[in-house]
Amino acid sequence: MPPTTIHVRPTGVPDETTPAVETHDLARLFRRSPALAGVTLRVEAGHAVAVLGPNGAGKTTLLRILATALRPSFGTAAVDGIDVAERPEEIRPRVAFLPHATGLYDDLTAAENLRFAAQLMGLPGPDRAGRVDAALERVGLTGDRDTRVTAFSAGMRRRLALGRLLLGHPRLVLLDEPYAALDAPGMALVDELLDEWRTAGACVLVATHADERLAARVDGWLRLVDGLMVEVGGEGASGDVMTGAALQPWSGALPEASRP
Amino acid sequence: MNAVARHLAVARAIAAKDLRAELRGRQAVTSTLFLAALTLLIFGFALGPDHARLAAAGPGLLWLAVILSGVLAVGRLHQLEMEDGAFELLALYPIPRAAIYLGKALGGLAAMLALGALVLPLTVILYALDVVSSLPGLVLVIGLGALGFAAIGTLYAGLTVRLRAREVLLPLLLLPVVAPLLLAAVSATASLLAGDPFGELSAWLQLLIGYDLAMLLAGGLTYGLALEE
Repeated sequence: MPPTTIHVRPTGVPDETTPAVETHDLARLFRRSPALAGVTLRVEAGHAVAVLGPNGAGKTTLLRILATALRPSFGTAAVDGIDVAERPEEIRPRVAFLPHATGLYDDLTAAENLRFAAQLMGLPGPDRAGRVDAALERVGLTGDRDTRVTAFSAGMRRRLALGRLLLGHPRLVLLDEPYAALDAPGMALVDELLDEWRTAGACVLVATHADERLAARVDGWLRLVDGLMVEVGGEGASGDVMTGAALQPWSGALPEASRP
Repeated sequence: MNAVARHLAVARAIAAKDLRAELRGRQAVTSTLFLAALTLLIFGFALGPDHARLAAAGPGLLWLAVILSGVLAVGRLHQLEMEDGAFELLALYPIPRAAIYLGKALGGLAAMLALGALVLPLTVILYALDVVSSLPGLVLVIGLGALGFAAIGTLYAGLTVRLRAREVLLPLLLLPVVAPLLLAAVSATASLLAGDPFGELSAWLQLLIGYDLAMLLAGGLTYGLALEE
């Protein structure tokens, strides 16, 4: 049976004025150290936004909070107007998250990994096989569908993890270093998918060090340094840029034991 | 699909995935089964060749072997999730926490039943137990004991899997909590093998059933904590 075509169509579209992502003074502490230190941000649906910054800037922490993998220590974050801390179960069906670790099971084949993901996403049985086949074809792994992931290279694992994102219809796509370990065709695949998600009306946040590659492919960008948003620009992204002067009052609002 | 059917479908998918992955990574299965067999052998050597002594110790050693190797088995089912960050992703699927717990516990139950299927005949051979007349009852006791251990073991394995010292902490935390199960299972097994002379078998079985239900309830309600960071 030929694989079905994948349409990256978002579901559960909210009111047009509701931003895809909205955060207010969002902070996350690990022990006493702030990984994210008060980010106020708004990203509109249908836009791709690069999340830039050096290692340890808070890019991954921001993505993990929006994916509901982490709870904020302070402040709020909302996806499609839904608070991530209060109603995470309503956000999860809307979000597709590509973390740095691929989350694949080594002893399962490529197809079994995607089939398992499709089952947990609640795809009905008749659609499941077709979508798994289509996703494998889209990421160029049809020939390796029955190979165990333990035999995959890092780039193939990345491709398979991207294929998992194609099983659903996300409203928000969160990509953490999507170009990592990929060869040139793999990087081009990420670019294509990014365009497809955006065209379908989804919001895409891409945390990356590949600033130059992404510059021509995103609508907006924000830059984090030491957990603070120091720059935001382009289309679709806006927010409060923290300067040295602005940092003082926020830091003073932290409980004494938690101050950096 | 209603909520109960969805819970069960998710649980079945998780359990099937765990068992498939575990059976393919044969090393872990082999070492768990080997530990169970080794436990029985070593205690057999320690007790000496006295048949009456071996037969008296049989029920206790059967359960000791099941539980010690069971700690490895339930721990392993969670370590699978940690190999490439899969546990975090598992928590992000739009599925109820209780269904994830149920799936993990089902996988644990299958592993425990496999252990029981190995340990029982080995104990019969090494400890000269006469099980012919009590075999159906023994199967029931092993099933109830395996369910209770899988229920609580899954919860504790989930709670400790992100910790650096998980291999040490899991048995340290889990073994005291399974003491009532061990007591009930050993007593029920001994009572069955002796033909239930004091009529206490039903009380031990009731304790096992109560333990199983309590642990399943506790696991279903609190396993979500294991998935939060």
